[in-house]
Amino acid sequence: MGESESESEAPKVKLRPIVRLGMFLISHSHLLSVVCCTAGVLTLLLLPLLAKNTYISENALMPGSANPMLSSQEVSEANGLVKDLTNLDLKPMASGIESQRLIAQYMSNLGAEVSFQKFYPQSNQFHPLHFFSSPDSATIRENISCSSYGLNTVGIIRAPRGDGKEAIVLVTPYNSEKIGLGEALSLGIAYSVFSLLTRVTWLAKDIIWVVADSKYGEYAAVDAWLRDYYIPVFSGLGIQNAEMCHGLEENAITERDMRDGFKRAGTMAAALVIKVVDRSEQFEDSLSIYAEASNGQMPNLDLINIVNYLAVHRQGLRIKVEKMWSLLNCKWLMILGEILESLGHLAKSLNPQWKFGIPAVDYVEGTATLASSLYYQALGIPTGPHGAFRDYQVDAITLEISSRVSSNNKGRQNDFLLRGGRLIEGVIRSVNNLLEKFHQSFFLYLLTSPSKFLSVGVYMIAFALLVASLPMVAASLYGHANNLDPGFEKNKSNHPASASDELGITLRSWKWLYAAKKVLVVHLWGAVVLLLPYFICQIPNCSPTTSFVVWVLLSIFSLIILFWILGSPFSYVNASQPQQREWALLKSVTISAAFIGLCLMSVINFATAEIGALLMVPMCLMAHPLKLDVKSRKLRNISRVACNLALAFIGLPPTAFLVFKCVFEGFDGISVGDFWNWLESIWAWSSATYLYIGMIHLPCWILCIHVILHPC
Amino acid sequence: MLGSKVTALSFLFLLLLGFSNCESPTETTMHTNNWAVLVCTSRFWFNYRHMANTLSLYRTVKRLGIPDERIILMLADDMACNARNKYPAQVFNNENHKLNLYGDNVEVDYRGYEVTVENFFRVLTGRHENAVPRSKRLLSDEGSHILLYMTGHGGDEFLKFQDSEELQSHDLADAVKQMKEKRRFKELLIMVDTCQAATLFSQLQSPGALAIGSSMKGENSYSHHLDSDVGVSVVDRFTFYTLAFFERLNMYDNASLTSLFGSYNPSMLMSTAYYRTDLYQRHLEEVPVTNFFGSVMETIHTDSAYRVLSRKESGSVEIRMSTEKSDHDKERLLLNSNDLDQIGELNTEDQRGNIECIWSTFHKELQKVKDVDSFVNYGYLSHVQYHISQPYL
Repeated sequence: MGESESESEAPKVKLRPIVRLGMFLISHSHLLSVVCCTAGVLTLLLLPLLAKNTYISENALMPGSANPMLSSQEVSEANGLVKDLTNLDLKPMASGIESQRLIAQYMSNLGAEVSFQKFYPQSNQFHPLHFFSSPDSATIRENISCSSYGLNTVGIIRAPRGDGKEAIVLVTPYNSEKIGLGEALSLGIAYSVFSLLTRVTWLAKDIIWVVADSKYGEYAAVDAWLRDYYIPVFSGLGIQNAEMCHGLEENAITERDMRDGFKRAGTMAAALVIKVVDRSEQFEDSLSIYAEASNGQMPNLDLINIVNYLAVHRQGLRIKVEKMWSLLNCKWLMILGEILESLGHLAKSLNPQWKFGIPAVDYVEGTATLASSLYYQALGIPTGPHGAFRDYQVDAITLEISSRVSSNNKGRQNDFLLRGGRLIEGVIRSVNNLLEKFHQSFFLYLLTSPSKFLSVGVYMIAFALLVASLPMVAASLYGHANNLDPGFEKNKSNHPASASDELGITLRSWKWLYAAKKVLVVHLWGAVVLLLPYFICQIPNCSPTTSFVVWVLLSIFSLIILFWILGSPFSYVNASQPQQREWALLKSVTISAAFIGLCLMSVINFATAEIGALLMVPMCLMAHPLKLDVKSRKLRNISRVACNLALAFIGLPPTAFLVFKCVFEGFDGISVGDFWNWLESIWAWSSATYLYIGMIHLPCWILCIHVILHPC
Repeated sequence: MLGSKVTALSFLFLLLLGFSNCESPTETTMHTNNWAVLVCTSRFWFNYRHMANTLSLYRTVKRLGIPDERIILMLADDMACNARNKYPAQVFNNENHKLNLYGDNVEVDYRGYEVTVENFFRVLTGRHENAVPRSKRLLSDEGSHILLYMTGHGGDEFLKFQDSEELQSHDLADAVKQMKEKRRFKELLIMVDTCQAATLFSQLQSPGALAIGSSMKGENSYSHHLDSDVGVSVVDRFTFYTLAFFERLNMYDNASLTSLFGSYNPSMLMSTAYYRTDLYQRHLEEVPVTNFFGSVMETIHTDSAYRVLSRKESGSVEIRMSTEKSDHDKERLLLNSNDLDQIGELNTEDQRGNIECIWSTFHKELQKVKDVDSFVNYGYLSHVQYHISQPYL
């Protein structure tokens, strides 16, 4: 609007450079949008090349500067615990409480403070009103039976000369009802470290070992403990509840332990979740790092760096991060990698200073890791119990050590416990050196390999390029819709505008409000669609597929009702106004809304915004009424029609989901119910991606379809 | 402040002696005492080595004869009692853990957050609050040789103090200039172990200042080795080789500053030690390291202590160096005293202070003294009296 005003004022007056630049951009918006979009996609593909090597940014950490002190003595103690636990599991009579008692006994023998924490399972129900807040304790305890509760065992070592203000947390989730060898080994590793730490003189932070009862899920147990740690309940309800269930409690846990209540140490500097999985197909021990917390939040990169450094350079473990395995076999990716590699060689031969080429295999691996990193961040679901810590701004990661340990090979098990224990000891000693919270390294990053990362400054470029074309095209469409009315240009250039013309211009310049109203209504509908699953969940015995179908039907129904109530934009035909440009205005406003939505989302969860932009930006930019294209039967128009249809198909969230699932996981066993399940998991974890799909993506898709089918 | 006190005292003393031989200390400026200011400017556990550096040097200068009351030790953090220290209340500068630097006799004058740029300047310039005890003051005079050792994290023309402040090269130069004006030193050796240490004394202007740094501009100073038991680096390279040099010496050794400065091997240091001598009048090869790192100074043998007011105990004023002193030493002594004369003459020309006015009357008296040697000797005599309590004597 500003541009049109300045144009009409006086062309003689020399405009300011910024205005002229803006006008230049808008007048070339078609070309620029194509260039920007291509550049955005290309940059995304180039990202693995731009990844930097990780480095320890915080001076204080000094990982690996101290020799590990964990010896075979601690390992043999830990072996005792592992043996006792597995024996316990063999006994049919042993109940869950036995194993906790055993662990507590072992802990207190070391001189640690032991306490138990009872928690009740939470149903992962969708609470539309509690979307961003954690459900308060009152609602959790609505219908719990006293018999079904989990019991976390917590041991605390106080640092002998520390100030007791900070703590490091070790978490070992295990299922108290059925202890597998892997879980027993993870407890063994934690125990060996714990027993060493009771003896060392260099502790500056308290050590908390949480043996989380994963009967009701690992995350739930850790989350329950953290909630109690940070949000103490002062109402009488908790106590009352505990007393109510007191009769059922077994005497195995001494009264004193329970009454001592919840034990706390200082604020948590870092948390490590230790898991051991038995992977007999592998030849060597490896370590997988899971770091994604809710809404794509990541722990400080330094934490991953020290684990990576110690595992690779000290313990000789192979480090893995999640990859999209199906991408590894991608032909086109391999070809692209080879092209980039040869380009790198070429650049190097021209100037030895230029080093940007990486081997094609590395490129493919980097892309696969990057894709998975993007996907898991975009999903917004924590990839492990560490996610619970991030909600309290504690840096945490899950270390999943996979081994080929079998219970009959004693030497191998000892070696495994020693290496695992030394790794954890090294990380703890390093974090123990920390003076402040982790702050030095990155929080916003994507991993392309365990030792390579992309910082926010680099990966934002791809998104910014994709999104940059949106405001330009919106402004250009708006300008065209206002100016290109027949006779308008001539009027302006020939003689000064009369009063009626002025009025006409004013009216025309406000015409976008109709389009804005339409866009607003559709976005409102998006919010309604978001709330529908809450009601659908109430229907008992509903398969995912039927739920999905019901949801779709209800959504369409609500869309029709909304239009009926608020005046259908489809039927809105103003005879006095020329209709040709109505779609252009609508598209302009849609694009603006999409731009705002994507930018907002990029702040909340970058990965979602990036993937969303990949799907949405081409669709929004291409949208053009079919009727106009079909009328002029040129090849260009026909190809545009094809593009539009293809993009519209892929732009709809369910189809996008199913198409990607087909591509990555194969065709077998695909059903629309999968999408429902996927969506359910997203809202159960209160991921912002859910909001994004309903409030931004879906409305934009509907509006684009509206533009495509516009009756002009 | 102290300088004026000393002059006043000497004045009274000379009055007692009579007016026939009087001499202003300002004019002779003989080396009479040694001070050391040792500063570790960085805190935090991972800077363990800086504290170890400083404590090692503290130990060395003490061993070579500077008493505790003449050492101002500033330590910005307490590594010994850090909870992360595997050996509580002990600090080591070597991974063999043979020598505990934080033994019984460590007197830290400024510790923790007391180590600030402000306090550092107050120590150098002597502008203290009234309440500051004498033990925390640098009570040097115009006959003092001062060793100023600093270690920490530095950069181009600055040295970081704690985690918040920095000392800039012109600040340091300013402080040294003030010290010179206030006659708080005769000679000053500034030794700096930081990255780009050479830049820190680029602004110095005051004569008598000698400076050595661990690295040139653009170079880093590296730590020597890591103690994998304690889990930190325990000493810096420059300091390590400095200490290695001094470990071979005792307080009667005669190694010169040249041999110290020549002992730094750039390939071992991984940086180039740089020293600045343009403000320093003496030849480095003639100056023993103990002039700064120890407390050894020249003494003049006189036949009788006081020509006029002869007393019984005047014989005892004759000071003997230890029997281990070689003839070589005496040669050096003589050479130096000749140099001193020249410097003394220069100084009399230069100085235009208020105190000079007081002494102008005595100056006329001095003209009468024909014999130059006795003139010098009697001048020193007062100093010898005054500093008779030197610990090594």
